[in-house]
Amino acid sequence: MSFSTRKSAFAVALAAAFSIPSLAAVIPAGTQLHATQTLIRNNGSEPETLDPALAESVGANNITRDVFEGLTANDNTGKTVPGVAESWKQTDLTTWVFKLRANAKWSNGDPVTAEDFVFGIRRFMDPKTASVYANTFGIFLLNGVEVVKGTKPPAELGVKALDRLTLEVKTPYPVSFLPALMTNNNLGPIHKASLEKNGKDWTKPGNLVSNGAYVLKEWQVNNRVVIEKNPQYWDAANVQLTKVTYLPIEDGTADVKMFESGENEWVYQLPPGTYEKSKAQFPKENRNAPMIGIRYYSLQNKNPAFADVRVRKALSMVIDRDILSQRVTADGQAPAYSLMVAGVEGASATPYEWATWPMDRRVAEAKKLLEQAGVKPGTKYTFSYNTSEYHKKMAVFAASEWKTKLGLNIETETMEFKVLLKKRHDGDFQMARNGWLADYNDATTFLALVKCDSDNNNNFNCNRQAEALIDQGSQSADPVKRKALLTQASKMIMDDYPMIPLLQYSLPRLVKAYVGGYSLENAQDRFRSKDLFIIKH
Amino acid sequence: MWSYTLRRALATLPTLLAVITVCYLMLHATPGGPFDGERKVSAAVLANLQAKYHLDLPLWQQYLLYLKSLLQGDLGASFRYADWSVNDLVANAMPVSLAIGGGSMLISLVIGIGLGIVAALRQNSVVDHGVMLIGNIGSAFPSFVIGPVLILVFAIWLKWLPAGGWDSFQPRFMVLPVALLTFINVATIGRVMRGSLIEVLHSNFIRTARAKGLPTRVVVLRHALKPALLPVVSVIGPLAISSITAALVTETVFSLPGLGKLIVNGAGNRDYTLVLGLVVMITVLAVLLNLLVDLAYAWLDPKIRY
Repeated sequence: MSFSTRKSAFAVALAAAFSIPSLAAVIPAGTQLHATQTLIRNNGSEPETLDPALAESVGANNITRDVFEGLTANDNTGKTVPGVAESWKQTDLTTWVFKLRANAKWSNGDPVTAEDFVFGIRRFMDPKTASVYANTFGIFLLNGVEVVKGTKPPAELGVKALDRLTLEVKTPYPVSFLPALMTNNNLGPIHKASLEKNGKDWTKPGNLVSNGAYVLKEWQVNNRVVIEKNPQYWDAANVQLTKVTYLPIEDGTADVKMFESGENEWVYQLPPGTYEKSKAQFPKENRNAPMIGIRYYSLQNKNPAFADVRVRKALSMVIDRDILSQRVTADGQAPAYSLMVAGVEGASATPYEWATWPMDRRVAEAKKLLEQAGVKPGTKYTFSYNTSEYHKKMAVFAASEWKTKLGLNIETETMEFKVLLKKRHDGDFQMARNGWLADYNDATTFLALVKCDSDNNNNFNCNRQAEALIDQGSQSADPVKRKALLTQASKMIMDDYPMIPLLQYSLPRLVKAYVGGYSLENAQDRFRSKDLFIIKH
Repeated sequence: MWSYTLRRALATLPTLLAVITVCYLMLHATPGGPFDGERKVSAAVLANLQAKYHLDLPLWQQYLLYLKSLLQGDLGASFRYADWSVNDLVANAMPVSLAIGGGSMLISLVIGIGLGIVAALRQNSVVDHGVMLIGNIGSAFPSFVIGPVLILVFAIWLKWLPAGGWDSFQPRFMVLPVALLTFINVATIGRVMRGSLIEVLHSNFIRTARAKGLPTRVVVLRHALKPALLPVVSVIGPLAISSITAALVTETVFSLPGLGKLIVNGAGNRDYTLVLGLVVMITVLAVLLNLLVDLAYAWLDPKIRY
């Protein structure tokens, strides 16, 4: 990326230092706490690692978020709050300075220093570490892309310890959401001495030296991970839960059964098709919150069948998102008509104008578009999805919409997930199921799905004019201007109909009524156990 | 017999090599690799990952490297579970699978053979029909139906036992999964035992034993049981292997950290080394069990000599 920085445009207001007091586990007045403060939460899968640099899955990050702490963190409402950094300021367009708290300690009592962050972040980007997320976040750090590629040494990364408690982070262009980005544990500190001493076993219980609110006590693969309160943690006085057990149950039915029998207090996600029934059965425990994520269908824009925008538009127009949301998936997801979903920062949603039209009008318009594009009734299209009852239901619905409303002949093909991923990455499909959950709360995470040459653009579309707007927005230090530019770019791209937005993800789950601190505003589902507590029951 | 055992053990080596080679090639030929994720990794990251796991080398070179580490007893590093070696993963899961699968096999043998004998001796009686009914239910209902029913009754309604999980061989976590596997295995063993014993009881040598005036107990236990066990022994091998290594449904229903879950997740994640490691273990186990079955034949059937 070649973004220039223009210091002259830098608004003075941005130089103000941010300092927000952080309190863990905000307990409402009058709440009586239970004598035993322990929680068993299902994590949905076995963590692939507890090394924060290598963690990629939601499950692994949930645990590393408890065991480690980065510069910043997300509280239970998803807000960015101070972590190890007690304050930060943007000193120029591309430079941020984070002031670390003096009382932050590792679980062995060593102080957490700026050097620990430098070591952790350099290691994360180092090609030798081979972290899957290195490039995702590397693009936001000065020389990050080059370090990941191996063309520059990790020492040249834009991260520097100014003194023991001051960390400077340089970006290649203005990154206004850097504090939010720093909530990701991939970009956190590592205790160098314990890593070097224990080698590949450094993340095992007994070896792992961490700086979060919890320490690792037990890790049995495919069975459980147990963490306990870290007495060395700087905010330990405000941490209520003394022990948290993470379960790796993948099967939703088994998850719910263990919840019912009392061996689990937090169902990761309700099994498909059970949301309404579960709402009636567990009115107090049922929690369903929208997430910053989108379910969509990718159209292979380079495939001759989809070369004409009118075809792509027609296919998008006739899918009734209301029926899809209320009757087909029936799990509280909101219809989506835009790339940006509700709650995302840095750009607004730009729903299609036909979203409010009656369906008859939409169908008539879509038929006209197909006719103009020369698509005859009975034309065959192939839709690919990965084997799953949930995706099958959605695919059958979409295929029936295209068939009954437009007379198209839709062939659906189902395959193993890895096979679908390979096909999507290679562009070897016509239409394919797709979905995206934000890595960080900023519009750029969604723009990655439609930007030219983006690794995550499975539609293979490209709009150079919109690309210029995105570049312009990214260079702007004015958040209002940036938002306007990114919104405009997003609309411009979506008017090309590169993909079919369908639903905004939600996360229907069960959490015992006595678990305090759970919030429905946490749109990235990042719940630190330090923000939770057990109410007397 | 010792030389036979040694010969059989040596003959497993080419079998093992063939299994590894075929499995190795099939895994690498399957579309989608270990690093194909929801987020496509950039070319630079992919190159780093491939270098880390030697996937940048020609396939034959990777294969030889794998065989070399295998000879040293090293099953390699897991592609998915970065903090664990395949040896660690197998060593953690194997005891769980052996306890559940092996335990249920032992109980199933005792109950299955017992019920089979009773049913055969009381052919067409109420007892026989009862045993056959259990056998038919066990065969007809899949484990993903029986398992949740067991959980509903014993964990949710009665609250006697946990609905799932595992805690260092505590019996209360083992009861339901062992019961489920036992129920299914008893059905097979009981039916085979019944059929076989009925057939043996109609043989001439049994008629002779009866004619000599021997009591039924002696006729059954001393003369009929051994030959009647032959077909049961034949089904024990595959039954034991499936109970130990392929009890995926049982492991899923009861959230057990066993081998079945590892192998299915391993295949889904394209965790080449993990899948190969488990295939090696299962092949060794299968060969071992088949050898034991063959040796049991010799003990049961005087006509067989090795």
